[in-house]
Amino acid sequence: MALNIIVLIKQIIDIDQMRTDPGTGIPVTQGIPLKVETLSKNAIEAAVKLKEKYGGKVTGIIFGTEKSNAAMKEAYAMGVDEGFIITGYPGNNPSLTAHVISEKIKSIQGFNVVILGNQSADSYTGVLPGLMAGKLSLPLLGNAVSIEEDSGSIKIRRALEDRDQIVSAPMPCIVSVTQEINQPRLPPVLQIMAAGRKPINTEQASLIDLPAGKVLSNLAPKSERKRLIFEDVEKGSEEVAKIIRGEIK
Amino acid sequence: MKFLVFSDVGKNVSEIATKLRDLGEVHSFTLKSQRDAVMKSGSKKLVLLDGTSFSGNVSEALLKSDLSGYDYVFIASTPLGRDIAGIISAKTGNMIASEAFDFTIDNGKIRTKRFFFGGKTIMEEETGAKIVTVSPGSFEPSESPDSPAEETITLPGSPEKLLEEKDREAGGTNIESAGIIVSVGRGIGSKEAIEKITPLVTATRGELAGSRPVCLDYRWLSEERQVGLSGKKVKPRVYIALGISGQIQHIAGMRGSKIVVAVNKDKDAPIFQECDYGIVGDLFQIVPKLVEKLKK
Ligand SMILES: Cc1cc2nc3c(=O)[nH]c(=O)nc-3n(C[C@H](O)[C@H](O)[C@H](O)COP(=O)(O)OP(=O)(O)OC[C@H]3O[C@@H](n4cnc5c(N)ncnc54)[C@H](O)[C@@H]3O)c2cc1C
Ligand SMILES: Nc1ncnc2c1ncn2[C@@H]1O[C@H](COP(=O)(O)O)[C@@H](O)[C@H]1O
Repeated sequence: MALNIIVLIKQIIDIDQMRTDPGTGIPVTQGIPLKVETLSKNAIEAAVKLKEKYGGKVTGIIFGTEKSNAAMKEAYAMGVDEGFIITGYPGNNPSLTAHVISEKIKSIQGFNVVILGNQSADSYTGVLPGLMAGKLSLPLLGNAVSIEEDSGSIKIRRALEDRDQIVSAPMPCIVSVTQEINQPRLPPVLQIMAAGRKPINTEQASLIDLPAGKVLSNLAPKSERKRLIFEDVEKGSEEVAKIIRGEIK
Repeated sequence: MKFLVFSDVGKNVSEIATKLRDLGEVHSFTLKSQRDAVMKSGSKKLVLLDGTSFSGNVSEALLKSDLSGYDYVFIASTPLGRDIAGIISAKTGNMIASEAFDFTIDNGKIRTKRFFFGGKTIMEEETGAKIVTVSPGSFEPSESPDSPAEETITLPGSPEKLLEEKDREAGGTNIESAGIIVSVGRGIGSKEAIEKITPLVTATRGELAGSRPVCLDYRWLSEERQVGLSGKKVKPRVYIALGISGQIQHIAGMRGSKIVVAVNKDKDAPIFQECDYGIVGDLFQIVPKLVEKLKK
């Protein structure tokens, strides 16, 4: 059955490139490029694969800012068909994010499945899948490592703490994916160029007043490691063995 | 104060209940299969959920238990736990503070500490959140002599269906309390190579652990041995990282170690910035040397 899929895409700063001030521990976010968040890429890849297998359409939603066009273009290049950017993202406030995105989803007719990451790579909140399921009153299939359609239902495989499961739910439903589900594609240049010409729908979020947390501090933890590095394997092993021996009980 | 604690993993309930029982009355909820692990958690009441569990029907059961009677709901951040926390937050309108590894409660406000920017920073927040997801392994569980009043609830039916279930190797390992950890990364190259590491584990009387790719992508080790932001937070006397590059999400799980030893063939690997002692070279050459020298 052809699937009408919605995928949720977060744009974040490239945390690999982000440094923290060695003296104060303050993160230096100025001038760090933006990118599509890691798990969102897995979500896009999963959505596009489903479309390629069953036919249908993939709609991307970013709750972001005026600077989110680049992320949507990347999503287009990976195979997303239509994209909505909702501007006004105030930063980490999952309840507000869930509110804004679920209102948008309610305006999209006849979708079958909403796909998103299980925990995003920067804030790592991990509660958006549950919030979306709660707000839209839809079943949630969380932490998928594979997804397929099966006569009107979605079927996923997942790993829970101590067991592996195959579970299904009728559509429409929400599916969150883990990093292990796939290897997101690197789109070819031609597709990237075509994506650049595709229109993007942008609208302003109607924000509601939800209290955000007060950040008291956000600093790099101090690392006070000795950093004694041996390039001489023999000498290194000797020294390290001595240290370890003193700690064996 | 009154607290509701839920986890689908009994051990996690005990960790959180141990921390909370001095602050007020704890009612613990878990799956029926987890009963034994929660009996000595010092909870006043223990509610066992019976039946096939999904995020949907567990949330429904928790919502029916009159959440408004509790000051806070604490849920361990397992895959199922996070989903449930989100659902009950949406249904009750109560905010969530997520991924806390430490917290204090003061005058109706909760202060939580969690990792941010993928583990590069620690964020301390003050919020009016009533729901908190707690990173597993954040607190040391201790046994209490008081037994809880028990109650069993049958989980309601659900639109989700369980088609197949397989238990994974339940090793019962507890790397969180290990004194020495030998941890392997993608650099070991194959599952078979673990045999070459075991002599070092034996020689150090340590526990074996691994990075995320080793435990999740390749399944060379079981998931309960994963160290990192999305895995276990460990604090051994010695953490020996073999063929682990030292990405920030891994470091977030082993930062509490007293001594960190790293072996990596790439001298620019970031793990060398986060270690006390490093050896640049092939781990398959260095591990036997260490074993031999430890035996002497
Ligand atoms: C949201 C999120 C959460 C994550 N959570 C976690 C987590 O909890 N835990 C975790 O570990 N990761 C986590 N990761 C993944 C993390 O970013 C890294 O991808 C991962 O830690 C890399 O694992 P690795 O060091 O084993 O592999 P690699 O990065 O591939 O490193 C392998 C290393 O082995 C070395 N090597 C190869 N052969 C040899 C040899 N013969 N001798 C010596 N050295 C050798 C190489 O030089 C290299 O440095 C997370 C990522 C994200 C986005
Ligand atoms: N601002 C956002 N816009 C669109 N999708 C988002 C946003 N924030 C989070 N998501 C989605 O929710 C997933 C989990 O995020 P989180 O719950 O914040 O850890 C991400 O991988 C994205 O798929």
